[in-house]
Amino acid sequence: MAASVRIRRQLPLSPWLFAAPGLLVTGVFVLYPFVSTLVNSFTDRRTLLPGHFVGLANFRELLHDDMFWTGLRNSTLYVVGVVPALVVLPLLLALLVQKNIPGITFFRSAFYTPVVASIVVVGLIWVWLLDERGLVDSLLETAGIGRVGFLSDQWLLLLSAMAVTVWKGLGYYMIIYLAALANVPRELHEAAAVDGAGPVRRFLSVTVPAVRSTMVLVAALSSVAAFKVFSEVYLMAGPSGGPAGEDTTLVMLVQRTGTGLTGRVGYASALSVVVFVVTVALMLLVLRADRRDES
Amino acid sequence: MPTPRRALAAAVVALVLPLSACGSGGDDAGTTDASGKVEGDITFQTWNLRANFKSYFDGLIADFEKKYPGTHVKWVDQPAEGYPDKLSADAGGGTLPDVVNVSPDLVAPLAKAGLAMDLDKAAGKYKSEYLDGAWASHQVPGMSGTYAFPWYLNTGPLFYNKALFTQAGLNPDQPPKTYGELFADALRMAQKSGGKVATLANVPTVEDFGRYGVTLMNKQGTAFAFNDAKGVELLSKYKELYDAKALDPQALTATPESSGKKFLTGAVAMNPGSALDLDNFKKNAPSLYRNIGITDQITSTGHVNMYVMGVMVNSHTRHTPAAVAFAHFVTDARNQMSFAKKVAIFPSTAGSLNDPYFTKEDGTDETRVRIAAAKSLKSAVNYTPVLFSDQMKTALRNEVAKALQGKESPKQALDNAVNAANRLLQQG
Repeated sequence: MAASVRIRRQLPLSPWLFAAPGLLVTGVFVLYPFVSTLVNSFTDRRTLLPGHFVGLANFRELLHDDMFWTGLRNSTLYVVGVVPALVVLPLLLALLVQKNIPGITFFRSAFYTPVVASIVVVGLIWVWLLDERGLVDSLLETAGIGRVGFLSDQWLLLLSAMAVTVWKGLGYYMIIYLAALANVPRELHEAAAVDGAGPVRRFLSVTVPAVRSTMVLVAALSSVAAFKVFSEVYLMAGPSGGPAGEDTTLVMLVQRTGTGLTGRVGYASALSVVVFVVTVALMLLVLRADRRDES
Repeated sequence: MPTPRRALAAAVVALVLPLSACGSGGDDAGTTDASGKVEGDITFQTWNLRANFKSYFDGLIADFEKKYPGTHVKWVDQPAEGYPDKLSADAGGGTLPDVVNVSPDLVAPLAKAGLAMDLDKAAGKYKSEYLDGAWASHQVPGMSGTYAFPWYLNTGPLFYNKALFTQAGLNPDQPPKTYGELFADALRMAQKSGGKVATLANVPTVEDFGRYGVTLMNKQGTAFAFNDAKGVELLSKYKELYDAKALDPQALTATPESSGKKFLTGAVAMNPGSALDLDNFKKNAPSLYRNIGITDQITSTGHVNMYVMGVMVNSHTRHTPAAVAFAHFVTDARNQMSFAKKVAIFPSTAGSLNDPYFTKEDGTDETRVRIAAAKSLKSAVNYTPVLFSDQMKTALRNEVAKALQGKESPKQALDNAVNAANRLLQQG
């Protein structure tokens, strides 16, 4: 009797004990930095100097900061340029490598290789390829087109970075689609074929509806990742963010503004809050569009 | 219902904790009295020196520990990349080493935050051991005091590719000596090569404006002023070079490393460097090394640019006498001279540059560069203002790029850069 009472008393505590390590890690490394960023966004804190509460001054300042609007424009363009490609192309790739034919494992591995490659290595390789004296420009010159200068033009540089993001992300989303395609009932394809539907018709009428929720997931994941892009643009455009900083993205601006011994931590935090709000809005937008389609 | 209350309390703590970081930062400052017994464990941080100079520093530390029994020096070395970020993380987290290798622009924010010891107070007796200009290089406008021992100095010549000069019909034995000659040669080089060979690979930085004779700051050191007529003139000249492809098209995004690589591959004809580079050319670009030309830095002021390194003492050190003694030991005349003989740098101690090592020719290029550099150092200037932060450098660079692309006039671009830098200066 006494033992059962003790057990009953201990019961409410034990789940918390199991959850404690996870809660602690989440609290220290996720919640605390998040709340800290939020609080700092209302201060004029510097890296080494104390901050004071300045209300909405940082947010007002960023409305008048040309570089903020450049960053917002580039991050938004990145979403617009990259997300459709990352929703469609990996699906087509997954359809290609889905079939069990001899040697297909090689192609699956090959398409997945860029995913596991370090982004720094990938960035450097593409910089070498696209440099004014790199392989691509040399080939174009040999072909009589002339050197394009992918890394010295503001828009070509951004497009090049987008191409690298798509190239690197293809394999990752291909794996997600492969899992989704494995769950598409074979009978549906067979029934459509019996009804006379060709490969394109079967893709549009059977495959796409079956993997629609996966496409939404891919759109949500890739849009958040695209809006927060840093490495590709930083490696290709350099720390200055391209010519006159015109290729700077919002996260690059956060890094540039808030780091170093003279970093404006308060202002960078305000920029981070904007990035957070926009990414949450993007997620909600994608999910809402999905719900509307379903209804 | 205690749980929601507890959750609320936790949320309040989480909200208030970050504000606690907004403290004064200098409340528990250590003493500047370095007169006590030299003893205790201290940490010494260098900036990317372990890879090539491990034995030198091991010997230096061993000598210090032998001289002062009861001391122990722990040496840490940080990579070159991201060094200011590492310093700011350490300074913010209260883990800044006792003795730190810094440059003047890194000392300024640390001194303002009360983290760098005023050596005029703690070690003023050593001042006469150093060159006057070198000692003054770690002073911060608006603050009294000196915040680091001067360590090694560096400067260098302008390297040029003689083969490219010949191909452009220029005399490889008569490199440009003035800005006028430089701009004329650069335009000719671009014209002769059909825009394929640029002469320069970098946009002008604040030190270039200084060397051109532009007034960088007002006399009080309270505002930047490089948007004067001279500044506009320099930027207009660079715009001409950019339009003629005499300035590499990728200069707008170049870093010193990438422009150095362009010089190595023969894509650009001239590049600033130091005696250290000769060895690099010899190893990595033998054909360039055979054609290498060496000439003096071009300056309108008569004073070449120099880079200064320093050794700072953390004002919060618990072992002030040991930290000050070690920082002085690292930078004293004997040890600086010994370091200079291992690497192509120059001591900042008074009289050291008169050593035969810096005055006697032996017929090699290395010695010629070393002697010329040592001679020019006696009147060299560190043109980069100590208050010119990374954010200001970015603002200048972006505005310069806009002017070169023709999006803004040189005057407008420099006005914008000065306004941005002054705004950042006022924000602290």
